[in-house]
Amino acid sequence: MTDLGIAIDPSVEAGGRGAFRMFLRNKAAVAGLVVFTFIVLVTIFGPPIYGVEAHKMAAGPFLGPGDDAGPLLGTDYLGRDILAGVITGGRTTLFVAAVAGAMAMGLGLVVGSLAGYFGGWIDALLMRFTEIFQAMPSLLFSLVLIYLMGPGTWKETLAIGLTLWALPARLTRAEFLRVREMEFVKASRAIGSSDLRIMTRTILPNAMPPLLVAATLLVVIAILFHAGLAFLGMVDINTISWGSIMGKNRGYTLTAWWTVAFPGIAIVITGLSIALVGDGLQDAFNPKLRGR
Amino acid sequence: MALLALNDLTVTFDDFTAVDSVNFTIEPGETLGVVGESGSGKSVTALSIMRLIEMGTRAKIERGQAEFTMPDGSTIDLLKQNETTMRSIRGNQIAMIFQEPLTSLNPVYPVGEQIAESLRIHERLSRKAAMARARQMFDLVRIPEADKRIRQYPHEMSGGMRQRIMIAIALCCGPRLLIADEPTTALDVTIQAQILGLIKQLQVETGTAVMLITHDMGVIAEVADRVVVMNQSKVVEQGPVDQIFHSAKEPYTQGLISAVPRLGSMAGKDDPEAFHLAGSLQ
Amino acid sequence: MIALARSIGIRLGQAIGLLLAVVVIVFLMIQIAPGDAALYLAGEQGVGDAEFLAKIRADYGLDQPLLVQLGTYVGNVAQLDLGESTYFSQPVLGLILDRLVATALLAGAALLFSVTIGVALGVFTARRPESPASHGVTVMSLVGFATPVFWLALMFIVVFAAKWGILPVGGIEDVRYEGGWFGETIDMLQHLVLPAISLGIIYLAIYSRLARASMLEVLESDYIRTARAKGAHERVVVYKHALRNGIIPVVTAAGLQIGNLLSGALLVEFVFAWPGIGRLMITSIFRRDSPMVVGIVIFSAAMVIIANLLTDLVYRLIDPRIRVGGSR
Ligand SMILES: Nc1ncnc2c1ncn2[C@@H]1O[C@H](COP(=O)(O)OP(=O)(O)O)[C@@H](O)[C@H]1O
Ligand SMILES: [Mg+2]
Repeated sequence: MTDLGIAIDPSVEAGGRGAFRMFLRNKAAVAGLVVFTFIVLVTIFGPPIYGVEAHKMAAGPFLGPGDDAGPLLGTDYLGRDILAGVITGGRTTLFVAAVAGAMAMGLGLVVGSLAGYFGGWIDALLMRFTEIFQAMPSLLFSLVLIYLMGPGTWKETLAIGLTLWALPARLTRAEFLRVREMEFVKASRAIGSSDLRIMTRTILPNAMPPLLVAATLLVVIAILFHAGLAFLGMVDINTISWGSIMGKNRGYTLTAWWTVAFPGIAIVITGLSIALVGDGLQDAFNPKLRGR
Repeated sequence: MALLALNDLTVTFDDFTAVDSVNFTIEPGETLGVVGESGSGKSVTALSIMRLIEMGTRAKIERGQAEFTMPDGSTIDLLKQNETTMRSIRGNQIAMIFQEPLTSLNPVYPVGEQIAESLRIHERLSRKAAMARARQMFDLVRIPEADKRIRQYPHEMSGGMRQRIMIAIALCCGPRLLIADEPTTALDVTIQAQILGLIKQLQVETGTAVMLITHDMGVIAEVADRVVVMNQSKVVEQGPVDQIFHSAKEPYTQGLISAVPRLGSMAGKDDPEAFHLAGSLQ
Repeated sequence: MIALARSIGIRLGQAIGLLLAVVVIVFLMIQIAPGDAALYLAGEQGVGDAEFLAKIRADYGLDQPLLVQLGTYVGNVAQLDLGESTYFSQPVLGLILDRLVATALLAGAALLFSVTIGVALGVFTARRPESPASHGVTVMSLVGFATPVFWLALMFIVVFAAKWGILPVGGIEDVRYEGGWFGETIDMLQHLVLPAISLGIIYLAIYSRLARASMLEVLESDYIRTARAKGAHERVVVYKHALRNGIIPVVTAAGLQIGNLLSGALLVEFVFAWPGIGRLMITSIFRRDSPMVVGIVIFSAAMVIIANLLTDLVYRLIDPRIRVGGSR
């Protein structure tokens, strides 16, 4: 920085509270949070309220959206209600993404914090191990996992979780390396705190901001992964999800574009709302980088 | 006639006035010290003269004149010139070196090429001729092993070496005014003395005027002919060095003077002492 | 020069070691997976055919101790033997190589598109941080990040191919087309446009924002001020002094993203019936052609590792601070 640039970092002074207030002032981020909450509520309470079963024939086939005879978003080749599919399918997609994201985050936290905290050969070993998984293209890797394990919602979730942990692991390691050298960590060590205590109580809270941002991104990536796998037909064919609706209707894209358009739009809106929250968190934690 | 006459220069950042009605002149060949604590508006003043202050910042030059005497004797107001004219003046008539030698050079180009660039811009030299001149500049700024170092990248050099490269870039086109904005603040004490000595000596050799910005009265004592004291965006006092040191009127100036450690060249003496060139260079 | 060669040698060694580790991990995954490894290797032909399974066990040495099996497996891969496809009854590697060009063409075109346009957009908007275009880059990057590439591909087909009829819907060539090599190249490029843009636009969204952030930072740096103080033209300041520093993070990101690019390519190949490795992977999974599936994973890991090596090299060319022998 030149001496002309004044660098004030409010989050440092105001702590997490300041960051929270920054976040609330960010309109896009708050909008993202509201939309996401709405989507979650719809997937939870929507199906009983809407009352149309997603996998049953509801009207004639290939009714377009807005067609008087059919439901709002039209029907597919078997006359199934697309809106019902989108509402119901969101459950699976969001559930798998949330659990797989948490799994990847947890695994990444463990690997990354061990590597970053202990350093030395432990770090070297764990990072080489991480590199191996990063060398395999992620989608191919989860495809192989599912291929070997067989289909099923839990197995898909596990496959996605096992695919995505390298990213949070690297980030956690970097954060631990950074925070490890700070004074209060040395102080904590000096008063004889155990390694586990230092890692979880002292370092982790200070490494949290970027990890929180990463967690939001990870959920978006998990949504896209699940959608991709379901689209390819690699998952349990009886479970409705946003990806599977698109996969089943793929052959009719040219006759009935709405059958693939709307589940995809649901994904984009959901992913965008989460990404906006992540972006807002990023700005709130690191105001200097705003708008970049 | 003064080489540069600043009149009523006022620069703002949004509603903050960083430079407030600043007046001073620089005579050909002299060294003007501009002193003041951090944040007093010294850099903004310098960058305003170069017309670089409004680039990439929210700064605005509100009013004032900066009358600069061109080699043909005519004067122009720098604050009214267009970008094309300013480009032909920057690095050619007025050159500038900065506080941070570590970050002021482009990391991805060899230093020789960065010196040659100025020559190619202003003297339209061929690549080869420019490099040959750059090679000579290495000797001028006393960098040994020029043939090897000319091909090195900034990260392969020490801070002092990099500041010498900056000086070479600044002086290669023979500017009539050199603005040095805290050129030694980021350097070790021993290197500081070397760089100041070098600037002083090159000034004697080339006859360029120097506007030396610093927050250190000790530096002023060693190299300046006249001093401008700035505080909180304003010029509070100016005059010849010995006058300021002997009979400063402003308490602020007196404070700056009393803060000078009585070490080195000033140790045990009341008066400032001119810089001794001999032996101060490596 | 010698130091450079040495450091490249070291990187090469690391790369080979990494590939070996991938092979070992893949092998272990097959072993750990529930069920009989022979069944996986046999594919659909093997189901209920005890004799065939026994032959597979003998062929692949599955009756041997685990370590011996691993040794054999690694040895085979080292001799570029990825086994034989149970569906095609041909060597896996040959089948992959047949499709390599199509995939490389798709991924390469997408990469080129996203990096060049992304950097151009980044430079343009970094100089006008408050412009509508700049806000557009922010929005586009978030939307692009959240968009499933296969969905985008399908929507492109709906709009450009079906509705407007200006570009082909799928495949790599029009079989009815008769023409010289020139006409055929044009035909192929026409087929490439939609797949490459579908894939590239997602990364374009990411790289344009990254390039802008990086350019904004670089344009504030002291050496940019130095360049201006020399009297350099703003064009030179931006394109000579700033750009070369500004693209470093983009090159790094593009290198790290190669694996994801190949993942995206798989989906795009599937949608556009593009005859590449990704589509082969999916059809092989449906055929339960295990040697093919495993072979593709190992081969694509090798592609990622080679791409990373190349990135490293480009990186060294751009940034002299990456000291010889230094690590990433
Ligand atoms: N880029 C900038 N943006 C906003 N304010 C600035 C900027 N640069 C300088 N300032 C303001 O101008 C004042 C004077 O700065 P400067 O001239 O750099 O002081 P110094 O005398 O230390 O060189 C600073 O206190 C700061 O408030
Ligand atoms: Mg300053």
